[in-house]
Amino acid sequence: MNQMSRTPLEPPSPPPLPAPPLVPVSFSGDRGEFFGLLRRGAGLELVTVGFYRFWLATDMRRHLWSNTQIDGDAAEYTGRAKELLVGFLFALAILMPVYLAYFLAGLEAERYRAFASFPLVAFFYVFGQFAIYRARRYRLTRTVWRGVRFWMSGSGWAYAGRATLWGLLTAVTLGLALPWREAALERYKMRHSWYGDLQGSFEGQGWEFFKRGWWLWLLAPVAIVVFPLAPFFYAAFKAVQWRWWLSGIRFGGVRLESTLRRGALVGLYWKVIGWFVLLSAAAGIYFAVCASVIGSMNGAPSQASAFAPQALLNSIPLLVMSGIGYLVLALALGVVTRLYLMRDLWVRLLASTTVHDIEAAANVSSRGTPASALGEGFADGLDVAGF
Amino acid sequence: MDSGSGHNIAPPPPNASAVYFDGLSNRRHAVSLAFKDRLEIREDERTLAAWSYADIRRADSPSGILRVTCLAAPALARLEVRDAATATELISRCIQMDEHLPGRRGVAAIVGWSLAATISIVAVVLFGVPLAADRLTPLVPQSLERRLGDVADAQVKTVFGGKICDNAPGQAAFVKLVNAVRESAGLDTSVQSAVLSNPIPNAFALPGGKVYVFDGLLAKADNSDEIAGILAHELGHLKHRDSTRNLIYNGGTSFLVGLLFGDITGSGALIFASRSLLTASYSREAEQNADTFSIDVMHRLGRSPKPMGELMFRVTGKEGDRSLSILASHPLTEDRLARMSKEDRPPSGPPLLTPAEWASLKAICSAKN
Repeated sequence: MNQMSRTPLEPPSPPPLPAPPLVPVSFSGDRGEFFGLLRRGAGLELVTVGFYRFWLATDMRRHLWSNTQIDGDAAEYTGRAKELLVGFLFALAILMPVYLAYFLAGLEAERYRAFASFPLVAFFYVFGQFAIYRARRYRLTRTVWRGVRFWMSGSGWAYAGRATLWGLLTAVTLGLALPWREAALERYKMRHSWYGDLQGSFEGQGWEFFKRGWWLWLLAPVAIVVFPLAPFFYAAFKAVQWRWWLSGIRFGGVRLESTLRRGALVGLYWKVIGWFVLLSAAAGIYFAVCASVIGSMNGAPSQASAFAPQALLNSIPLLVMSGIGYLVLALALGVVTRLYLMRDLWVRLLASTTVHDIEAAANVSSRGTPASALGEGFADGLDVAGF
Repeated sequence: MDSGSGHNIAPPPPNASAVYFDGLSNRRHAVSLAFKDRLEIREDERTLAAWSYADIRRADSPSGILRVTCLAAPALARLEVRDAATATELISRCIQMDEHLPGRRGVAAIVGWSLAATISIVAVVLFGVPLAADRLTPLVPQSLERRLGDVADAQVKTVFGGKICDNAPGQAAFVKLVNAVRESAGLDTSVQSAVLSNPIPNAFALPGGKVYVFDGLLAKADNSDEIAGILAHELGHLKHRDSTRNLIYNGGTSFLVGLLFGDITGSGALIFASRSLLTASYSREAEQNADTFSIDVMHRLGRSPKPMGELMFRVTGKEGDRSLSILASHPLTEDRLARMSKEDRPPSGPPLLTPAEWASLKAICSAKN
């Protein structure tokens, strides 16, 4: 075994090496194993009409985290599905009166003027940003490396306020302010992120992001007209964004750097699109067969007499079969998306990343406590869940 | 310092190399393991920790590495064994190592509870929510209902154009017709009604007691009984407070159905479909009740309910062939016509409007005369 290949055993002594050591980040997970996990998860989601999602999400994270090795040591995800389930139930209990209040406030606004309640949608945007922040906090506090957890301080509402104002500015400037929005929000998140007693920070500048991606902003209208180009542009945009984001991350003196190429993600997006087309075609054939089989069964009697109950009875199997077909399609698309845009993307990002000055994290003391999964529950309830 | 050469201390197996994190700092300790009555974790000659085998649990790790933790140690203390022989030795001593991991029974429990939750939600949607809507509707104060009505009113006027037709002779005929039907329906004067200038042949009731008839429906009507039947139908909705009941029912159903499907990717369409399926069947029932009400009112007025069915049939045509009946919010028009034809009786009361009044009502939206 090669666990002695890199051992920073002498902590404080300055290493008299000619160049500071670069630490690659590696991924050791088996793709087939992850696919098996997704397939099984999708099947169980079908059986449990979606309740299994908490267990699936946890299994995926555990796989990805525990196979990610930095400086020879693998990370670990210590979150558990039951926490997500409890967080979801609590979030539901809180969201119910919120929805009711939203309804009543909307009623009053509508009385004042028809459709005046539209701005209230903004409230859910703010709430969604809050949920995103709190969900990140949950995931970060469940992330452990070398026996020390990451954690997060800061306020979800302060973040939501910033995200909303920057979002407004981005909308007003037709997206031009996006790089600065990302930089500002990332600075807030990273400033409040910690690895033990090592504080994080974000050094990416909005201007750098802008310099790398402005041409995509100019080309965006082209992609709307010639939409087969859109995946190329989007993949390039995501690659630029990921690289800029990874290269800006700091924990104390530890720096990350990514060398992700612009075209690195194009293949992934096209594979997903290819599978979407293929699966949708298969679903289309399935629906057509269902419709024709059931049509041939009920075609004759409904012509003979206009007995509505008969037509009604006959359309129930069609609806049930379409419903099942639709669910299977949705779940299959979910498997494809997660395999390519979660696992494969993860692997490509890690392969592009190196860590500089890892010795700065050689003797970090444990700090921080696990956060509750309430934020994840909100994110789930509001459909803003990320990972 | 971790050269794995066998020291040969007699009973325990040879010292083995491993990596230890104490959970308090991220210092990487290269340690050797001694399998005594407890697992001793040693760095140089110092014992860093001693874990009893019963407390040792497996933690996530990449393949090829055994990573364990100890219930009695700090929560994040980790021991990583990379040597297969040592790992096997350790596993053989820790019988409870995988006790905390959900096995086949854990998955079965998840599936079982999910099915139970599903059945319970479906039962609540099918039986509980309609019951709740029935019981809660009478408890909703009229003032709240009127507010809802105001909201709907403002939206209707925005969507359909708010022009109310009220030239004097037409309005007089309309008021006469509405009052006749209203009194027969047993509703008080809080009911407001008006004709809106809109080519769509339709009529509807809003919560809080507003009934609107579109000019387009008047244009399609042949006599006052047809409109009277429609008005009676809409008043039936008011009397049964169907708008409020629908609101409660729809709100409850969408919430529960959304809860059921959670976020299976893209299940929005499925939620929408199953919801429209449920609400449609609920609303068909309400429509049928309103029809029953209308038939009774017309009988009490000594008029036949059949013209109403004929008007509806004229507007929609035969529906059975082209729409999915299970998704329709109203019963099929041909069925409603059949039902009203069955209730057809020769008129025993006077016509509700004179031919002249009927002509003025049809012309209610034309310029003032």
